[in-house]
Amino acid sequence: MSSPADLSSVSLLVVTGKGGVGKSVVSAAIGLALYRAGRRVLLLETDPRENLHELTDVAPSGGEIVTLAPGLFLQNLSPQAIIGEVVREHLRVGYLVKRVSASPVFRHFVEAAPGLKELAVLGHALRLVRGYDRDRAELIDAVVLDAPASGHGLALLLAPGLTASVIDAGPFGRMARELAEFVRDPRATATVVVTHAEEMPVQEALELRDALVSRIGRHPDLLVVNALYPPIVRETRADPADRLAALWRQRRAINDRELARLGAEWTWPRLDLPLLPIRRGPALVEALVPALAGAVGGGHRRGSMRSMTEAAR
Amino acid sequence: MTAALLGHSLTIVVGGGGVGKTTVAAALALDAAYAGHETLVMTFDPSRRLKDALGVGHDAADREVRVAASTPGALYASLLDARITFDRLVRRYAPDRQAAERIFASRLYDHLSGSLAGVLEYMAVERLFEVASHRRYSRIVLDTPPTRQALDFLDAPSRIVGFLDSGALRIALKPWFDEAGHLRPTRRLGPLGRGVEAFFDRLIGLGLLRDMAEFFQAFGPLFEGFRARAVEVQGLLRAPGTQFVLVARPEEQRVPETLFFARRLVEAGHRLAAVVVNMVHPEGPVTSAAVPDARDGRSLLAWLGRLDARGVETYRTRLPRHPLVDLPLLAGEPSDLVGLAEVRALIAPRWLAAFAAAGGADA
Repeated sequence: MSSPADLSSVSLLVVTGKGGVGKSVVSAAIGLALYRAGRRVLLLETDPRENLHELTDVAPSGGEIVTLAPGLFLQNLSPQAIIGEVVREHLRVGYLVKRVSASPVFRHFVEAAPGLKELAVLGHALRLVRGYDRDRAELIDAVVLDAPASGHGLALLLAPGLTASVIDAGPFGRMARELAEFVRDPRATATVVVTHAEEMPVQEALELRDALVSRIGRHPDLLVVNALYPPIVRETRADPADRLAALWRQRRAINDRELARLGAEWTWPRLDLPLLPIRRGPALVEALVPALAGAVGGGHRRGSMRSMTEAAR
Repeated sequence: MTAALLGHSLTIVVGGGGVGKTTVAAALALDAAYAGHETLVMTFDPSRRLKDALGVGHDAADREVRVAASTPGALYASLLDARITFDRLVRRYAPDRQAAERIFASRLYDHLSGSLAGVLEYMAVERLFEVASHRRYSRIVLDTPPTRQALDFLDAPSRIVGFLDSGALRIALKPWFDEAGHLRPTRRLGPLGRGVEAFFDRLIGLGLLRDMAEFFQAFGPLFEGFRARAVEVQGLLRAPGTQFVLVARPEEQRVPETLFFARRLVEAGHRLAAVVVNMVHPEGPVTSAAVPDARDGRSLLAWLGRLDARGVETYRTRLPRHPLVDLPLLAGEPSDLVGLAEVRALIAPRWLAAFAAAGGADA
């Protein structure tokens, strides 16, 4: 846990954070930045809302891998479908597969078994980047996972270790151990936490950090502070009746307070991104790519607000 | 003293992550206390500032703590703790103390109570049921856990019932092991059976299977109680005194998902009292530039205000029969009771106007 992972070379980037802070936009921009740096990237989402599809202007694709460009792929993964695939692979007999998959016992098991869906998602990423499926046409260097919000995102990263501690033997135990090593290894997996500079999301980011450090010995490798209000410019004449100016001051004051808190409590790399006047969509993703390219491209410098704002103009 | 905004005894505040459910729930509860109701607001780990505002610390975990508000009706708050609620359920339905202790001692229980799908959501309803059955409060407001989708919360009790009915448990409850710790079904098969047993041992570990069998044996006597309870809890969500308040953000991209949830609620026989569109950016002067200046906060806010106004309008068109309460983006989250009272004062007139516009339906 001594130093941050090199985001330009890891195989899996897990992007998490509180709901509504722009995880999907940041995931897409990271994926695009890595792709432009020459990596073969899969953008992976597990949310049925298919945010990443929307952000890359792709119609819902029902779980298939979509090629956005040679070397840039997109997939909405249903964990249930992956588990079904594993059953097919192990049983091989069509009749048995049907019996098992259709049985309510199996469906409820998949729904309720602790950690199973999380293992399925991580396992899928591992197989792709390690090339376990030799018949697959796509070769992938890095998977960018638009993970669920903090609590569930944490569950995702903890699932392999917890499962390995319960199932100590056999192929399941081995798989869980392999995945646990995969998420613990800073050369293989990195975590990116996205937040707003507001109290609750920052609180969740800090709690997530503490939980990751104590449970798997990993510090999140990058914190992205998204959608900051522009700094207040010195006004020559402040109009007390100007409601928007007042709201801007108040919201920016909250940003400043939380940035100060992060400055004191978050010593690992951090990237600050401005609130941009671009509607959520491919254009917004595109506008964020340069800043994220700086953050994932090797060095751990902080993004400059000014250059980002300029780029958006 | 005016009539409370909440006309039903139970109000469940639902919505996606980061929409401001907790603040809305606390403000509605404060309003009920103003109107003279003994009121309880139950929440999951709210922000530290709101905890300060309500004056509840960790001591309110699973306990109802009196909020120091001078309201005609007393206001109480409690923080929900899924694990404590789960433990209590086990104790209630276990035939005796030893049976409960056997469950708590199992390494699987730890794992299960923390990560079983829907446990957190289910325990929230379970706790609501517990508190509601005491009939101590005339108004209870439940702030639901942050789920990725509001639907997860609604489906939690039926998922538990479905799981208990699925037959998976009946299979797990069979006496799989004999006294010597060998697999009973394979024993009968002689040497072949030992081979099968060795296969299971390699596959997953006999130790784990033994633990699982033991765990389910210990849990067995509880299932009927659990199941009956889950069915009752399910019923509470549809009871005549229960209503839902759906909180959403104004972004147009989020509208379809909110409409979908609203429709699901109504179709499933729940009462959707109101939709609160929260954190609406204020509309700026009409003269503000069409292309916003990224360095000017006023211009950005005016631009966001225009987008949000469109979102609110879409909600209004698409949900004509439901009261739609739009709340402006606040200067900051309330950090004390005064701040919370301000939010309540902000909600009240909009709430009443929305209900009047929707045809006088009462909440």
